[in-house]
Amino acid sequence: MSPTLPSSGSWCSRREMLSRCCGGFAATAWTALQAYRTLGESQDKLTSMAGHGPHHTPSVRNVIFLYMDGGPSQVDTFDPKPLLEQYHGHSPSDLFTVQPTQFNNVGKMLASPWAFQSYGESGLPVSDLFTAVGQHADDLAVIRSMTSEFPEHTFANYFLHTGSGLQGRPSMGAWINYGLGSESEELPGFIAINGGLTPPGGLDCFGSGFLPASYQGSIFQPHSTGVADIQSRSFAGAHRTPRLDLTRRMDQLSQSRYGVHDAIDSAIHNDELAAAMQLAVPDLMDTSDEPEHIHRLYGLDSDYKPTQIYAKQCLLARRMVQRGVRFIELTCPNVGSDRWDQHRDLKAGHEKNARAVDQPIAGLLTDLKQQGLFDETLVVWAGEFGRTPFAQGNDGRDHNPFGFSVWMAGGGVRGGMIHGATDEFGYKAIEGRCEIHDLHATILHLLGIDHRRSTFRFGGRDMRLTDVKGHLIDEVIAS
Amino acid sequence: MRVCYLIAGVFVCASAAWSSDDSESIIASQRVDFFERKIRPALIEHCFECHEIEAESIGGGLRLDFRRGLIDGGDSGPAVVPGDAAASLLVEAIRYESLEMPPQGKLPDALIDDFQHWIDDGAVWPDEPEPIGERSEDEFDLQRRRASHWAWQPIRTPVVPDVGDSDWCDGTSDCFIAERHASAGMTVAKSASASQVARRLFFDLIGLPPTIRELEQFHRDCKRLGSERALARLTDQLLASPHFGEHWARHWLYLVRYAESRGHEFDVSIPNAYHYRDYVIDALNDDVPYDRFVIEHIAGDLLDPPRTDSRGRRVSALGTGFWFLGEGVHSPVDIRKDETDRFDNMIDVMSKTFLGLTVACARCHDHKFDAISSADYYALTGYLQSSDFRPLRFETHHANAAIDTSLAQLDRMMRDRVAKALPISPSVEDEPSFVSAALQPHVVIDYTNPKGSRLIRNGYAFSSETISLGQLRFVDAEVPLRFSTFAGAITDPIWNRLDSIHQDGLEEGFRLGKIHKAGRTLRTPTFAIHHGKVAARVRGSGTAFVCVDSHRLVNGPLHGETVVTIQPESDWVHFALDRYLGHRVHIEFIAAPGQTLDVAMVTTGESDGDRAAQQRHETAIAATIEQSNDELGRAWANDESLQSVKRLVGQWRRQRQQLASRIDVTSHVAITMADGDGEDDHLLIRGDSSNPSDAVPRRFLTAISSEASLSNPVPMGSNARGSGRLELAKRIVDPSNPLTHRVIVNRIWHHLMGRGIVATTDDFGVLGTRPSHAALLDHLVDRFRSGGGSIKSLIRDLVRTRTYRLSGQYDFDSLQADPSNQHWHYRPPRRLTAEQIRDAFLVVSGHVDRTIGGPSIAIHLTPFMTGRGRPRSSGPLDGDGRRSLYIETRRNFLSPFMLAFDAPVPFSSMGRRNVSNVPAQSLALMNNPMVMQQVALLTDRAARETPVAEDRITWLMKTLMSRSPDDKEVRAISEFVSQNKASEAWSEVSHALITAKEFIYVP
Repeated sequence: MSPTLPSSGSWCSRREMLSRCCGGFAATAWTALQAYRTLGESQDKLTSMAGHGPHHTPSVRNVIFLYMDGGPSQVDTFDPKPLLEQYHGHSPSDLFTVQPTQFNNVGKMLASPWAFQSYGESGLPVSDLFTAVGQHADDLAVIRSMTSEFPEHTFANYFLHTGSGLQGRPSMGAWINYGLGSESEELPGFIAINGGLTPPGGLDCFGSGFLPASYQGSIFQPHSTGVADIQSRSFAGAHRTPRLDLTRRMDQLSQSRYGVHDAIDSAIHNDELAAAMQLAVPDLMDTSDEPEHIHRLYGLDSDYKPTQIYAKQCLLARRMVQRGVRFIELTCPNVGSDRWDQHRDLKAGHEKNARAVDQPIAGLLTDLKQQGLFDETLVVWAGEFGRTPFAQGNDGRDHNPFGFSVWMAGGGVRGGMIHGATDEFGYKAIEGRCEIHDLHATILHLLGIDHRRSTFRFGGRDMRLTDVKGHLIDEVIAS
Repeated sequence: MRVCYLIAGVFVCASAAWSSDDSESIIASQRVDFFERKIRPALIEHCFECHEIEAESIGGGLRLDFRRGLIDGGDSGPAVVPGDAAASLLVEAIRYESLEMPPQGKLPDALIDDFQHWIDDGAVWPDEPEPIGERSEDEFDLQRRRASHWAWQPIRTPVVPDVGDSDWCDGTSDCFIAERHASAGMTVAKSASASQVARRLFFDLIGLPPTIRELEQFHRDCKRLGSERALARLTDQLLASPHFGEHWARHWLYLVRYAESRGHEFDVSIPNAYHYRDYVIDALNDDVPYDRFVIEHIAGDLLDPPRTDSRGRRVSALGTGFWFLGEGVHSPVDIRKDETDRFDNMIDVMSKTFLGLTVACARCHDHKFDAISSADYYALTGYLQSSDFRPLRFETHHANAAIDTSLAQLDRMMRDRVAKALPISPSVEDEPSFVSAALQPHVVIDYTNPKGSRLIRNGYAFSSETISLGQLRFVDAEVPLRFSTFAGAITDPIWNRLDSIHQDGLEEGFRLGKIHKAGRTLRTPTFAIHHGKVAARVRGSGTAFVCVDSHRLVNGPLHGETVVTIQPESDWVHFALDRYLGHRVHIEFIAAPGQTLDVAMVTTGESDGDRAAQQRHETAIAATIEQSNDELGRAWANDESLQSVKRLVGQWRRQRQQLASRIDVTSHVAITMADGDGEDDHLLIRGDSSNPSDAVPRRFLTAISSEASLSNPVPMGSNARGSGRLELAKRIVDPSNPLTHRVIVNRIWHHLMGRGIVATTDDFGVLGTRPSHAALLDHLVDRFRSGGGSIKSLIRDLVRTRTYRLSGQYDFDSLQADPSNQHWHYRPPRRLTAEQIRDAFLVVSGHVDRTIGGPSIAIHLTPFMTGRGRPRSSGPLDGDGRRSLYIETRRNFLSPFMLAFDAPVPFSSMGRRNVSNVPAQSLALMNNPMVMQQVALLTDRAARETPVAEDRITWLMKTLMSRSPDDKEVRAISEFVSQNKASEAWSEVSHALITAKEFIYVP
């Protein structure tokens, strides 16, 4: 529990509420520190049951979600299909049933423009788009049989982020902070570092939906002050002015007039936290204290601007992990053509997108290891869907939710392994088929949360990140 | 279990016929052994994940964990026919011949053979009870659920508790509260001061803080009338304030997930949505009886006569706009599924808002907890299936209706009189058909004769009557009479001048956002596409839009083929609809502005030859008719004997001109619903749009239907020509419905008292909370009904209760006993909502613009608000000083400041906001640029208003907290001022006071 919570008077504090409602999980060190303190007075219990804590021993404390916006092609990254070579130029409908696509412009079978190499002791094949990430093959658990329910970006994005295709549902970062609370008093528990491309579907991908606002993702930019409203503003110009003292004095006098109330106590405490955050965020954002080799490791010195941006995002993610930010999502930088959404010109588009992220991701994995953070961090690499093994038009690929690759690395994850398989053309998952719900269930599991027990009552239902679905992908979990 | 025994019995008998007892039992045990070794483990390993009682959700409704489960089967029918593997669906599925099971991968061939053998051998399963599972759910028994849950029970008229000679109660509601105080032994907080109550009233009734002038007025009233009467007077003033409607509209708008863009990828605008917002404001200000308000939401377009509002406009139809304020997706791959998702949201919002029920939970299965069946859900979606979106020229629609009628009468009368007087008539057969015999079998919509398809119009540009072949028509030409060579629905150029006022995107956005539909549209009845080629015989220019499964956000890459421009030179317009075989569509024909468009028919599947035959047929008939036209032309030019005809025609022209001059040309356009064709929806198995079952007749919820109609259900909307929504609306507000009035009364209580009597304001179901004071709730319903459903009267009643006026000075022991204040023994301070906070800034800075209504102000965009569909330019930082409900609600660009203070995200009904308490709120008040701007304005204003610094502290405290400072406060501030540089001190004081808790927490 937070040592700094003010005494909330005589009555049901959050501490009591938690121990009463949640069987004492609040006693663990995992409980929310900065986050949600309800207005117990005017809220009923339903919305005040925040921070249920872990259900079992967690493998990791933090998640870094490398969101690959637009849907990278599985057959061009982590799922080699030699048969595409052989059938290149054939009509796909001669080979299998082609499902309706977003653009309804089905071309011929399209071989991957990239060769694959086997890496590490595991021999995990990775395409030449990811030569740097390939060096970490023995750390990756590649799931080649992921599926989505939606072939359109926005639906699929909401689905990947929130477990529902509908807008306005809580994002997984919000769910996780709702479940575990933040470890940091000075930083939000859920941060999206926006490299430039906001996912189709907008900022609602990072929303808290029906969960309290405190769990929504804070949008950071990888430069300057990072986040809105953090730069201390004062008409007097000092950092922490005596103004706060005057506010506090007025609050005290008001309390003596109207009595002590928990909500007001909490709000007063929040002023203190806010003042601390005003110092903590600039400290987080200022990477000048990192040695030169670290800058180079991530690619901050790259001559390609998008690589520099993503490198900064990855480095900030590591700094956030060090400071106890629970869930960090990185969105992609703008490479000038399009996100990983190559409806045409696959070769150029995928190359630019890969170039932006390959070295920074590899640098992040290396750095997490050397800083001793790898085992307590889960890194997830995923797009909202994959792409068709046949062309859209001549040289693009359309959306494909039927089978695509994502990978995980970090604490609790079996490295150097492949789970599941798509068919011989890489179109549909046929072995070990997984759903996004399964990915969510597994992420929650590694954090110590039983996805079936992490619920929030809304609109007459006990809502879950995994809805009524979700199965652990046991194969990728280290035993 | 009977089936199980029976089959086992048959099996045993069959064996006995050819075996001795011994060998029979040996064979039986071998079969069981085979099952236990081969089949059961395989079922457990490969199937139980989805097909066992403990499965998260049982796939396809099929259970494979007991024998009867296999035999009874699931959604797709029996899985196993014992003794006949070839006829067993299970075998088909594991062979991957139809369903592909298990989905993780095909089983080894040997195992598939085992299954076949086992089934052929009788599918033996040891005699064992059906597994029950830990979380076995209630069997769905609607009547039992209805009988056992409080909310379905009729509203009673509770006796007001006798609380002795307590002088605490001020009015009957208090007695219910006081009774609990007494029984629970609560020591009740004393009443708040009159000034405190006044501050509450301002925020609770109009959402704004009092100005110093308003405060002074109140204090004068207190002196003059006493505080009791002064508060009553203040209440009346605030209820009469136009700001009342604004504040309560804000509550309402969150129920109907009001927004002005559709979210998703491009966040396209919902044009003209603000008319709905203003409609709600006006209705609340006019204190429209609640039942009327509800009916207008469900079916205001069908009310005859509609309500005229205080601005003299016929507005009932505007209520139906709420249906269409949801999210929208362009280019859905599965267009019917998209429709079912939209319907889901519409039913969800409607049922939560008006009934406090989560009906949409019954989309995929009978409700898990409440007395709502899946059939109930689809009975309601039928009303949507039967209805349609209609952009309405609401300011002129009704006035112009009279002209439309007069015009039809005039034309009919004059046509007859002229025909009688005219010696010429075309020598065509009596009822000549415009449609050739070759084309006839292909006609799906026929406007060529009066007995053909029904005319469904938006506005009056299309005449209310079709024209038939050879019919005499007035035309604005040198020869003003003409025998028609065309038959069908026709536009009358008299309406060409229509001028509609839209927001950007006209009526719908994307492709349809360039087309002026309102007032100028003919909509066909709904029909199913059975052939990919569809065509329409037209004349004139405009647009044809094929509305497939009510999808309207047409924007590539898919569905572009549904919008086709009609060129003036083409006789036919063609649609390629192969993608939509089996889908339900209607076609909208929209005349181009200032142009005419005539429509004869819609056909499908005809050959080019058929159309050529039609062409020959038309040419032949036209030749005959044109002879008469030529004759008429010659006669008009030469023949003196047409004088009487010419007089009549002159009269016809003048009367038409007269009518034309009365047409209300200019109107705003609002979002409304209109009737399509009466159609029932089909129940979708598991909510899956590709898996329809039987049609469900439209009707209201089973559990709210009267006993009589339960035993003999009368479907509503049996009138095939309409949706039946008006009947539905009447059922919703019927006094026998126990929910509607409980729900609204509870909402009002919630907003005034901080928590509903039912805390879950949008869910009165089993998972919602029980009413803390059930009798009080019914008592309030009673009062509400006898007050004619006046929201203002109920508010007036409630704010004069002692309960409302309790102070926050709780009794320590009572708080221990009732920490969550279930008994309302005190009133905790309430944090202002996001909107109230921002509006309060504007009032105290003196910068508020109190204009009511109108188009929204563009949202201010911070650098952190990014993404597709980002508006090209940012709105003003201060929103031009307009109240928060006038700041545009763009789904993908919601204000971070408002979100930090828990402004709801508009995706479903939100009758109760979260109230979080986080550092981000402190940061916003400390550093947000808008706050800084308002603080600077406040500081300047304070200096202007109080040139003498000594007065300034009092002025600031009165302005911000509605009270004078005490000595300690004056001292604290004075000291602060003296310690700081003069130039900065007062800005810092203003800022400090705005971040002081009392500013946003109303005691």
